[in-house]
Amino acid sequence: MSSPLAALLFLLSIAPLLQGVVTRTKSVLTGRRGTPVLQLYADLWKLSRRGVVLSATTTWMFRLAPLALAACAVIAATFVPVDGHAALLRFSGDAIAFVYVLALGRFLLVLAALDTGSSFEGMGASREVAVASFVEMGVVVALAALSLATRDLSLTGMLSGVAGNRFGPTTPSAVMVALGLFALLLAESARVPVDDPATHLELTMIHEVMVLDHGGPDLAIILFAGSVKFAAFGAIVVSVLVPRSALPLAVSLSALAAGLVGIAIAVGVVESTMARLRWPKVPLYLAGATALTGFGLVLLLR
Amino acid sequence: MTLFFAGLALLVAASSSSVLLRRWPPADRVCLTLLGAGCVLSIVPAVQVLVTGVAREFRWESGVPGGDWVVGIDPLSAMFLVTILGVGLASASFGFAYLAPERARRRTWFNHATFAFVLAVMALVVTAQSAVLFLCVWELMAVGSYVLIVMEHEHASVRRAGLLYLVVTHAGTLALFAMFAIWGRDSGDWTFAALAASRAQLAGGRAAAVFLLALFAFGGKAGVVPLHFWLPPAHAAAPSHVSALMSGVVIKTGIYGLLRVIVLAGDPPRWWGWAVLGLGVLSAVLGVLWALVQHDVKRLLAYHSVENIGIILMGVGVGALASSYGYPVVAVLGYAAAALHTLNHALFKSVLFLAAGAVYRATGTRNMEELGALARRMPLTWLAFFFGSAAIIGVPPLNGFVSEWLVYQGLFRAGESHEALRLAVLAAPALALVGGLALACFSKVAGVVFLGNARSARAAAARETGAAMLAPISSLVLACLVIGAFPAFVVPPVLSVGKFIIGASMQSADPAFAEVLAGAQRISFVAAGIVLVGALFWAMRFWASRGRSLRVEQTWTCGYGPQTARMQYTASSFAAPLVAVFGRLAGVQEQRGATVFRTAPADLVLDRFVLPLWARVQRLALRLRPMQQGRLHIYLLYVVATLLLLLAYLVASPAPLWTGS
Repeated sequence: MSSPLAALLFLLSIAPLLQGVVTRTKSVLTGRRGTPVLQLYADLWKLSRRGVVLSATTTWMFRLAPLALAACAVIAATFVPVDGHAALLRFSGDAIAFVYVLALGRFLLVLAALDTGSSFEGMGASREVAVASFVEMGVVVALAALSLATRDLSLTGMLSGVAGNRFGPTTPSAVMVALGLFALLLAESARVPVDDPATHLELTMIHEVMVLDHGGPDLAIILFAGSVKFAAFGAIVVSVLVPRSALPLAVSLSALAAGLVGIAIAVGVVESTMARLRWPKVPLYLAGATALTGFGLVLLLR
Repeated sequence: MTLFFAGLALLVAASSSSVLLRRWPPADRVCLTLLGAGCVLSIVPAVQVLVTGVAREFRWESGVPGGDWVVGIDPLSAMFLVTILGVGLASASFGFAYLAPERARRRTWFNHATFAFVLAVMALVVTAQSAVLFLCVWELMAVGSYVLIVMEHEHASVRRAGLLYLVVTHAGTLALFAMFAIWGRDSGDWTFAALAASRAQLAGGRAAAVFLLALFAFGGKAGVVPLHFWLPPAHAAAPSHVSALMSGVVIKTGIYGLLRVIVLAGDPPRWWGWAVLGLGVLSAVLGVLWALVQHDVKRLLAYHSVENIGIILMGVGVGALASSYGYPVVAVLGYAAAALHTLNHALFKSVLFLAAGAVYRATGTRNMEELGALARRMPLTWLAFFFGSAAIIGVPPLNGFVSEWLVYQGLFRAGESHEALRLAVLAAPALALVGGLALACFSKVAGVVFLGNARSARAAAARETGAAMLAPISSLVLACLVIGAFPAFVVPPVLSVGKFIIGASMQSADPAFAEVLAGAQRISFVAAGIVLVGALFWAMRFWASRGRSLRVEQTWTCGYGPQTARMQYTASSFAAPLVAVFGRLAGVQEQRGATVFRTAPADLVLDRFVLPLWARVQRLALRLRPMQQGRLHIYLLYVVATLLLLLAYLVASPAPLWTGS
């Protein structure tokens, strides 16, 4: 098996674990016993054994969306050089494809939400697209900075290139880009301070309320897609900060796993120490994250 | 060229057959057949030119002032010819079915005749190689499309929209006269070849004037912010197939004009490139923002044309900048992106306009807040609209992604350069924001119009349209899918268009071109990958839910009673979070109450600037009223006074006004 494919499968298999790490961190910090780290695997298995309840209002879009969402998350992950050397699918401009493939999945999920004719899901969809517009902009700023630092338009080149001259003049930019991407990751994966996955009131949700009517295997696929997206974004942040192109495969993947767990812990810490922002403040938060990556870009334009 | 002219002759024949046979109902079919044959015949040479890269030309020694009349097809013309005739044919055949129910009440034959004529004229606009011929057909196109727009002239709003269009387009034509006059001042020969030959004398102020006038005239035609204000009313007022033609093709002649000026005048000054890039960003961001707040489906689509013209201009801007800074490879990519997005936008925007027309025929309304649940009533129209939406927001595996990806290629590679050109990379985030907002906007349209519950009895009673209207839409959808899934077939021709614009050799190769081509091939893998992985998940779900229960229940309403259509999010509320972010820039008036939330969109430029300005001009003009007494002797007095003034000037002027023989 080729190294990029093995690395991708490794990433897909540890993706649900990261969600468990986040929850576990929160329980430890708030002094609760909490769920096991492997809870999401159990949830996915349980959901996949359930029957399906469909809303009478829905059409084929409602059933297609989870599949497309998961397919897009996995395909987006194939552009990320998980093993530190090369991605499974790499070409000039795949960084842009990464953003737009994720957008395709989001588009279908939003349409599925509107398919139910529910005010909750309409609300979630409306907020999701608003957040996503700004997140996309921030991610492209980060990608522009990385491409300027490495003179490459593919994630493979950008991420191994940044590692290559890590102690060169681009280091401050790389740090800013990584921090900005982390802040955007929180928004993209529906985490505090933009969204709160643990809230129990539909009116305060964004992503969660959008999939309110999905259940059983469909919900399992949506949850898995969310964890893959988190892992792929996390892998980009780790790769910007930690050079792995010189390491052998096993070491490189262990380093990645350690980095991803570190990111998950950081997310857990943020969630336990911060409250969700009021909705009008969310655009300001996203603008701040974009500005941070923007400074990284401007430093390179000097 | 024989085939091309034969095709044009057939288009004119189609036009006249519609007039001559107007009392004979089957005449529609005759006209459509002639029109189709004409489009196909004229496309053939264009495709040949695109594939081989060898231009052709026909010259007629006209004897009128301004030199010979030359008609030629080069790669740039060919690209636009394919767009015009392909999309024109689809829109026309939709139009015959769309207007058929009105045949008894309205002179639909006149619309068909004009449509065929405008197609022929537009084919000449992009092939004319001399200024006099170009101006003639440009003006014919403008007047012809005015006639098409005001078909439903019994409505005052339609007449007003038509007048607005006429005013803007004539202002543009006037600027074109000035541009050619300044350019060809020194020679009597106004053929494009002669104008290109005199580019050496075009420097300093004259070059600035030529490029500024071109930007005004062609930018106004294309609908660039702030000259876009004619576009939404005109597109909304016109019948749907005409909107598709206007938005897909007519406004693209403005882009053609800009590119042609660049070809003829050589590298534009740097400030011009920055201006075009800036206007592109402005149009794209504001266009999509203003689209987001519309409730009229066609006005919304019209604002998206402003957005997409902005994206095209970003490509043109990168091309112009890169060539003036001396980066020909980046310039080729920028121009190629602009050319491809022109074609792509024509395809998916006509899908959307024609599908919106089908919805209008089925429901009688264009107001989104009265629609809903059409996916069940009109499944095929919905499928077409869905693909059109996915294409316009630029997601793979549809064609919109390919051209936006090319624009990014240009912007990112400009960022790798060593001069001020690097700053062009700052337009990339704007393009990403535009993509995100377009996603929001089309989630709104598709969701509110086609999904959920029907918001009115009309929407609940809608019926799918017939094959005659669905066939042209499907062929356009197919084109979108093919370009999106197999971009490696279209990238080489558009690269050669880019090379032609900067005057590089067609054979010129660069590692960057190979990289882009390889990337285009990989995009096919991405498309296949999404389908395959999706199928894999489908198989897993199928396997998991074998033998499990499948229940159909109503949507979750917190346990409170039955679901109603009024529970749904409206178009206004869906857009509200983003409107709140952009504040006054969105140009929306909100009405909030205990049970109401409505938004009324206004056009910032038209309603807050152009109309007030016009009102002020009118008030000033009223002051001149006393001069117009309507009495003959007063007018005679004016004539005499003018003559005396002129004579006084002649006597006093130091140099003679003319040198007589």
